[in-house]
Amino acid sequence: MSWAIEVQNLNVWYGDKHIIKNVSFRVPKNVIFAIMGPSGCGKSTLLRAMNRLLDLNPHARVEGQVKINGINVYGDNVDVTWVRRQFGMVFQIPNPFPHLSIYENVALGPKLNGLVKDKSQLDELVKQALQKAYLWDEVKNDLRKPASMLSGGQQQRLCIARALALKPRIILMDEPTANLDPVASSKIEELLLELKEDYTIIIVTHNPQQAARVSDYVAFLYMGELIEIGETSTVFTRPSNILTEKYVLGRMG
Amino acid sequence: MRLNKRKIIDRLMLGIISALAIASAIPIFAIAVNVYSEGARYISLNFLIDLPPPPVGGGGGGIGPALVGTLVLVALALAIGGSIGFFTGLYLSEFSHTRLAQYTQMFLQVMVEFPTIIVGLFAYMILVAPLKRFNALAGAIALSIVIIPYIALNVREAYKSIPYTLKEAAFSLGVSAPIAYLRILLSAARRGVLTALLIGLAKAAGETAPLLLTILGTTFTYFGGLDQPINAIPLLIYNFALSPYEKWHQVAWGAAAVLLTIILVIFIVSRLIIKEVKV
Repeated sequence: MSWAIEVQNLNVWYGDKHIIKNVSFRVPKNVIFAIMGPSGCGKSTLLRAMNRLLDLNPHARVEGQVKINGINVYGDNVDVTWVRRQFGMVFQIPNPFPHLSIYENVALGPKLNGLVKDKSQLDELVKQALQKAYLWDEVKNDLRKPASMLSGGQQQRLCIARALALKPRIILMDEPTANLDPVASSKIEELLLELKEDYTIIIVTHNPQQAARVSDYVAFLYMGELIEIGETSTVFTRPSNILTEKYVLGRMG
Repeated sequence: MRLNKRKIIDRLMLGIISALAIASAIPIFAIAVNVYSEGARYISLNFLIDLPPPPVGGGGGGIGPALVGTLVLVALALAIGGSIGFFTGLYLSEFSHTRLAQYTQMFLQVMVEFPTIIVGLFAYMILVAPLKRFNALAGAIALSIVIIPYIALNVREAYKSIPYTLKEAAFSLGVSAPIAYLRILLSAARRGVLTALLIGLAKAAGETAPLLLTILGTTFTYFGGLDQPINAIPLLIYNFALSPYEKWHQVAWGAAAVLLTIILVIFIVSRLIIKEVKV
């Protein structure tokens, strides 16, 4: 079986603080893989270690391997910008570039990375990305307006379109619905189920119900350690660890 | 009864403090009124373009050479000091954890307080004495050194004010650091960066002390090359005000009104930039 991503013996420190403790797991292609756990367990850090966004933090230190298509992203000759382009990332707070238009927010990545030859190709790519993010119909007449005029849920779908426009293999989502109302959240969840046809999705959530609703596989992270991992149906019905059981039953933060 | 006494003291103190606050703002109005009532009447298009008048006889004359000199010096200072200051500020913001950045920031904060005449003396030592001639380049370098700390520290603030999540968004697009900082995040910080440059501009246009020992000043030459003396409005005011000629005093007043107008316009523009509704 070929894996979308393989994490091997990953350790992360912030200064002296051991945040991620020897975590290993593999994610098959075209699935939704949820990482759940209480606040502060290291979920977001684990996600940022995969696409090396953690490099932005000067106090972070990483050991271990993260492989995509067999290539260790922490390998010696690996270009960090290449690594990041393999992933699309969606953040907890919808963060479109507020000074750019809706169109420019999606077009910026492909333009700066030379993914398109000309304007018409770019237009097409922007349109496709917005369509895949279920946003096209709502914004097709307002493409030149600033992204900041969109609602929170629309902004988050714009951020998904921005990520898709890079043509990534894997989409990383860091609690993408944490700051959205229930209606906007369920729209995003529906969208995830569509997107897994084409992408592998790794979603971090502090909400076990969300993990149960959308994911095929789930990992439970607790204080930086991987407590349990497996098919979502199994983990939620027959958890093998008492901590997992407590967590999925809502008896833990 | 005691309550009453307390109230009276409270009122009295408030009155004194308010009066002092108003008093502290009086100089700016007094200066503006003074400068414009003495100088505004001389300002005209010709005043901006023409050569100064001869000390006695002749027409009203103007400040053409000094205005050209100020434009040349400010443009050079902004090109040199602006780019060094900008990249220094970016470094201070994004590498603030490094010891180099911490020391640099400390030195820049000291430099803000530096007597600018000493900066002029330094430019004299490295550019005037060896060339054995006062020259425009020495003035531009002195002004650059004066404005670098202002620009660097304000650019640092501008980049620091970008939300971390936007920075993550920029880098998640898989672009190199120069592109992330200069093509994506610069426009997110553009107001602060522009304000920083305007502060540098105002400073460069208004400083006199760094020019005293560097450019000498010319009276009747517009521009003779960067290796030649040049004039500037603040220096013209200083020289003409000290002269014994009534006519040159008038030109100095007019030049003061022009300089104050330049500074006020820069100030108002930078206020408007800051005030512009944040999106």
